[in-house]
Amino acid sequence: MKSLIKFFSSVRLAIVLLIIITIASIVGTLIPQHRSPAEYLDQYGQLANLLIRFEFTTLYHSWWFLGLLILFSLNILVCTLTRLSPKLRRVFRPSLDFEKKSLLVLKVNKRIKKNKNLDQSHDELKKELTSRHYRIKEKKRDNQVFFSARKRMLGLFGSDLVHLGLLIILLGGIISGVGGFGTILQISKGQILPVPRADFDLRLDKFETEYYPSGAVKDWKSTLTVIEEGKQVLTRIIEVNHPLSYKGYVFYQSSFGWDWKNPTLEIWANKNSDPGFVKKIELKIGEKARLNDDGFEISALHFVPDFVITENNQIATRSLEPNNPAAFIEGWQGEEKIFSGWIFAKFPDVDRIHSSRETDLKLELKGFKGNQYSGIQMSKDPGVNFIWLGCSILMIGLFVAFYWPAKEIKVILEESQGRTELIAGGLAPKNKEAFASEFNSLMTTLGRSK
Amino acid sequence: MTESILFLITFILYILAALFYFGFLFSKKEGTAKTGLSIASVGFIIHTLALILRTFESGHAPFTNMYESLSFLAWSSVFAYVFVEIKYKVRKAGAYLMLIVVAVMAIASSPLMPKEATPLVPALQSYWLWLHVSVTLFGEAFFAVAFITSIMYLVADSREKEGKARKSGLTSERLDSISYRCVAVGFPLFTLGGIVFGMVWAYKAWGSYWSWDPKETWSLITWFVFALYLHTRIVMGWKGRRSAFVAIIGFLAAMFTYFGVNYLITGLHSYV
Repeated sequence: MKSLIKFFSSVRLAIVLLIIITIASIVGTLIPQHRSPAEYLDQYGQLANLLIRFEFTTLYHSWWFLGLLILFSLNILVCTLTRLSPKLRRVFRPSLDFEKKSLLVLKVNKRIKKNKNLDQSHDELKKELTSRHYRIKEKKRDNQVFFSARKRMLGLFGSDLVHLGLLIILLGGIISGVGGFGTILQISKGQILPVPRADFDLRLDKFETEYYPSGAVKDWKSTLTVIEEGKQVLTRIIEVNHPLSYKGYVFYQSSFGWDWKNPTLEIWANKNSDPGFVKKIELKIGEKARLNDDGFEISALHFVPDFVITENNQIATRSLEPNNPAAFIEGWQGEEKIFSGWIFAKFPDVDRIHSSRETDLKLELKGFKGNQYSGIQMSKDPGVNFIWLGCSILMIGLFVAFYWPAKEIKVILEESQGRTELIAGGLAPKNKEAFASEFNSLMTTLGRSK
Repeated sequence: MTESILFLITFILYILAALFYFGFLFSKKEGTAKTGLSIASVGFIIHTLALILRTFESGHAPFTNMYESLSFLAWSSVFAYVFVEIKYKVRKAGAYLMLIVVAVMAIASSPLMPKEATPLVPALQSYWLWLHVSVTLFGEAFFAVAFITSIMYLVADSREKEGKARKSGLTSERLDSISYRCVAVGFPLFTLGGIVFGMVWAYKAWGSYWSWDPKETWSLITWFVFALYLHTRIVMGWKGRRSAFVAIIGFLAAMFTYFGVNYLITGLHSYV
């Protein structure tokens, strides 16, 4: 046990672990994370199996990375605790039993001989230190007075607060990792969706996209209603950067998309022989619409938002974005199919229509309306409060450590034959240069009044 | 339009300041360096006006694309330098720092950088943009000064060892201590702006405070390097050469987080 504590109390270990964790983190940004095995095989060949086996492909969630973080946490904990009690003693029970020698080895130190007696020197020193906002403890012994003058001593605990904050953050991270859960919900207008792992439902009342005059997206807004046991509990508009929080579940506006299952198409029929003729038809997939009085009908069978022909000659959609919308239509005269094929919204002059006989018709896909759905990132993260607590403590610690540096001056006044010798030494672990100049100016003042 | 004129005037003033500082390296006359400082300060004030104008013209924070954020980095670096110069009188460092500032301004004004203010994508419309970016860049500006003084330390140290340099004025020991002071100012700022504010914003916008996105990871790596710097120095008593090397690596990591990640690795954080 003792040797284990000794092992973990080493700063050298902390440095080594920090270097290893840093290198591992770098490696994780060089190897793409969370891809499919095929992609790794493609990129790394033989090496891929090894990378996957040792979890380099999910590095930050791997057992060995977690292990490093746990070792590091233990290291921080033991390092902080073993250094805490001497520090507490130093701050709250300052020792006045020091010797001349120990003062003269401090980084800043000074010896001054004064033609004053002990009491005069004592009062003068006390006045100077107090005017510089030092708090003083003193002890008299024979012909000597021992001074301990200190200020901003809480600054010494800055680093401990930083370490405490870090530990709480790491704890919060583990809690998030174990108990956290998130997914993307796709919800269309009017739809009621049960929230996974929760006892309430969510309804999308309204979804709108706001645009800048240039046409770029400004914002997405979803009006959400929480429904619990059949009752509407609350309605809130969420937008990017303004999530809805309910019972520890948080809902973020993250994206939007198109639902192309049942779009409404607008098709214009023109006649080659009569440029003035145009007939506008609106129809849904599977519907038939009459074109004119002689019984000619057209129907729409399929719609794809982003038409593409795959390698094996299949029609597919490249994405759900309406980049190249196309509709598969058929033309019927009674029971006889006259033509069938694809027409394209963006390429009205191109078509892939096979006709059984010549027609005078030209069909154009003029409009298409799908349902927009809202993409809502849902997450439940029980660790997040630990994270904010840890971050706050960490920041307080950092600012205390660097902007509120502790300063300590120890002085021995020694009288012999009516003269006093002043021996002083100073300590400031964080702010040596500024402290040295403060110390020197104090010593100059004291030295002047011999 | 006025913003670009002010930017140009700033650019010219920074070049002049750099020239005066370089003049000081040769003339060794205090006055030359002081003129450099005055010109840089005037440039800084005009630059501030340019940034304020930009904010009013575009209606959003002046660091949402590469041009804007480079300009802001130059501005915060000049601020950090003027601060350090007034406090520690590190005159010589001005030459190198202003050189870097001029280079950053030159990249910002190159025709490859689109300069028109574009409307913000939804994810960037948040006051966290102000907090996250400005505090981070201020921290990095102090790292930049630490970087310069660390390099100057390495040069001064080897010259002193060869007995070429006089052991007075800006000694290697003083440079070492100044570069530590800069890290000590920059580190809390970088932690607050880069890591903590970044986490808060990520949680508000993406629903997760940490996603191991390359930019997040690299800012953590930068943080680790400076944590190493502080621990090796304060606890293990490293000084001088070794410390200077760590500070240099730290600044390079910060710059890689800032630029490199955008161009070399793709991720969530693909704005600037």
